[in-house]
Amino acid sequence: MKHLNGSVAAAGEPAASRHVAEDVDVVRGRVARFLPRLVLVCTVLAAGAARTEPLLDDAAERYRPLMAEETDRSLAGVRAMREAVLAGDVDAAQKAWIVARVGWERAEVFTSGFTELDREIDAWPNAATGFHAIEAKLFGAGRLDVRPEADALIFHLTDLRAKIRDTRLTAQGLLDGAAKLAYEVGESKADGGESRFSGTSLDDMRNNVDGLDSVFRIVFASAVEARDAKLAEAIRGTIGQLQTLLQVPVLARLDSRTLRAASEELIIAFQTAAPLLGLQRPSLQDLVQQ
Amino acid sequence: MWKAALACWLAILAMPATAFPIHGSQTVLPVGSELNEDALERPREVFRSEALGGRKSYLVNLGDLAFSSPTVLGGTARQAGMSCSTCHVNGASNPRFYIPGLSTRPGNFITTSALFNAKANNRLLDPVTIPSLRGARFLAPYGHDGRMTSLRDFVHNVIVNEFAGPEPSPQIVDAIVVYIHDIDFLPNPRLGPGGRLTAQVGEPARRGEALFVKPFPHDAGLSCAACHVPSAAFVDHLQHDVGSGGFFKTPTLLNANFNAPYFHDGRYDTYDRVVEHFDHLFGLSLSGGDQADLVAYLKAVGDGRQPYERDGVLPRLAEIMDFASVLGAAIPAQDTEVITLAVDTVGGELRELTEEFPSPKDTNVSAGREERRLARAALKDLVLCLRRVDLAAAGGRFDEAADEYINFRKLTAAAVPVALQNAEPSSLFDPVIHDAHYAALRQIYEAADRSSR
Repeated sequence: MKHLNGSVAAAGEPAASRHVAEDVDVVRGRVARFLPRLVLVCTVLAAGAARTEPLLDDAAERYRPLMAEETDRSLAGVRAMREAVLAGDVDAAQKAWIVARVGWERAEVFTSGFTELDREIDAWPNAATGFHAIEAKLFGAGRLDVRPEADALIFHLTDLRAKIRDTRLTAQGLLDGAAKLAYEVGESKADGGESRFSGTSLDDMRNNVDGLDSVFRIVFASAVEARDAKLAEAIRGTIGQLQTLLQVPVLARLDSRTLRAASEELIIAFQTAAPLLGLQRPSLQDLVQQ
Repeated sequence: MWKAALACWLAILAMPATAFPIHGSQTVLPVGSELNEDALERPREVFRSEALGGRKSYLVNLGDLAFSSPTVLGGTARQAGMSCSTCHVNGASNPRFYIPGLSTRPGNFITTSALFNAKANNRLLDPVTIPSLRGARFLAPYGHDGRMTSLRDFVHNVIVNEFAGPEPSPQIVDAIVVYIHDIDFLPNPRLGPGGRLTAQVGEPARRGEALFVKPFPHDAGLSCAACHVPSAAFVDHLQHDVGSGGFFKTPTLLNANFNAPYFHDGRYDTYDRVVEHFDHLFGLSLSGGDQADLVAYLKAVGDGRQPYERDGVLPRLAEIMDFASVLGAAIPAQDTEVITLAVDTVGGELRELTEEFPSPKDTNVSAGREERRLARAALKDLVLCLRRVDLAAAGGRFDEAADEYINFRKLTAAAVPVALQNAEPSSLFDPVIHDAHYAALRQIYEAADRSSR
């Protein structure tokens, strides 16, 4: 079994030690209020290395069925797209591509951990392969000569599906994935965003935030709630704010400044929550290993 | 030497268009808009305070920050992430700026159209060029038609009326004016006191100088120099009708080699065409040789030392540090307006800088993957560091905000520059990677364009 824990802050990361010290202070400040609950956390921190509570990793396991479901949905969409391509039906192929994207974007909290597969499936912006290579041809040019790309995408999504079955989920890995995805949601979309040919960039973002919402609810919410109810509420509030901001009719109307601020606030809230859960501050580094 | 500079300038103008227009179905600006933001050569900005051996004041840095902030503007401009500096790049102009429907050629656009502010729409096809702001403190009145004597009024008008911005606070308008006042002309070794040519200028330009001050044959009270007064930054602060469709103020000739296209609407690309225009208008009957001499003179007067600089990690970081420096005063002053402006604007610049280091998902770049990964992570950490400053300040915890800002200064002093410089050879600042990146994008978009026609 592989461990999806590669996004733990690298040893050479600037200021990492300072942040850890600061987090300890934050924890100490809350001791008076949450002493009984924090005994475990403080013990872990005092031992020198933050370790995930086993219970939280059990909670991470509860996320697996949803992830499998989203990946299956994406895979089914790509297969339907391939059928439509073979039948010469551009409209149906486009519709199936959009369906396939929904599952993919919702699973991104997790899939960003598989760097190589992510690169094959979701290469961007100069995509020679994956969703966006197909998008440029199918939507940009109305072309149907995407069979090799569709076959490759099915191959890589199937590979991902297998990896989801075999990879141990850790709370740390999911928190890192959530922080990275939150950062991505805050990126400027003034140029049309990620899926500019299909015009579904706004849907990508909505699905990303839904994915964040799911992973928080399923894995972290009750643990954060137990240690700092206000923080849990703040996180839910910020996710809700992101969802509301994304309810605009068109991408060009998005209040990107507020969206960016909210996305960054969400990451900071995750970073505040991490030591309370015995986790390390989520890192925003792109992973290199698979 | 000036020939070398001119050749360099012409080479830049003659380069194949590397700029990358906006494409796609969901963009804020019309498809085909060109902001030239991907240019690797940027106009060099010279500050009076630094040229004299001093340093830029808090107000200059605050003005520069606001000048680069989309939140100072409103409507479409803000949504598109445009700021004053999108058009006035480093305080100069932007000859490639083009918006379909608003521009009749690169370098001009209609400033009173429905796109940027429906309330200002006068339904006229009246595009104007983007003026360079170098030496603007010598160049009143303001606007091509010189309708405003106060730069402050003009800045306010641009923000509120032309670009639908919210009413700016007095300190922001004041700071922008101080910043513009600090933008100097590029030094020009070919010009001496009183705007006279120096000894290092060749014969054709000297003959041109004589023609420039020579009274016109049909009106002895007029000469080129009567309006473009050499001892007064080559302006007379007045509006004239020179047959271009109304009264327009006399533009300066200083650093004008870098201000093409010429005339208020950018109708002329070259000095040759400008000289032809005036020869015809005033019946000067200049010979071909006379015209060439005048052009040589204009090129000598319009020159400037090192007009462009290469974009890269160091100039970007220097600008970011200057912008962020306002926090050093704004946090202790508990000035949340400036703190939020700085966090928003610098955070946006940092996010843009991050995109210069392609992510692992960019299959077009293979070199320096680890270096790019570390550079991106370092920049994201800075973005979050600034957000903590804003959150702390918004919560009234200014000591905490000050600590976060100290952390930001520490990171930007050493760790971040090292990480970024290590990744620079595999970033879009590298000309080969830059061109390959935009060529690949262009190929994708051109395929889409061809099929949609």
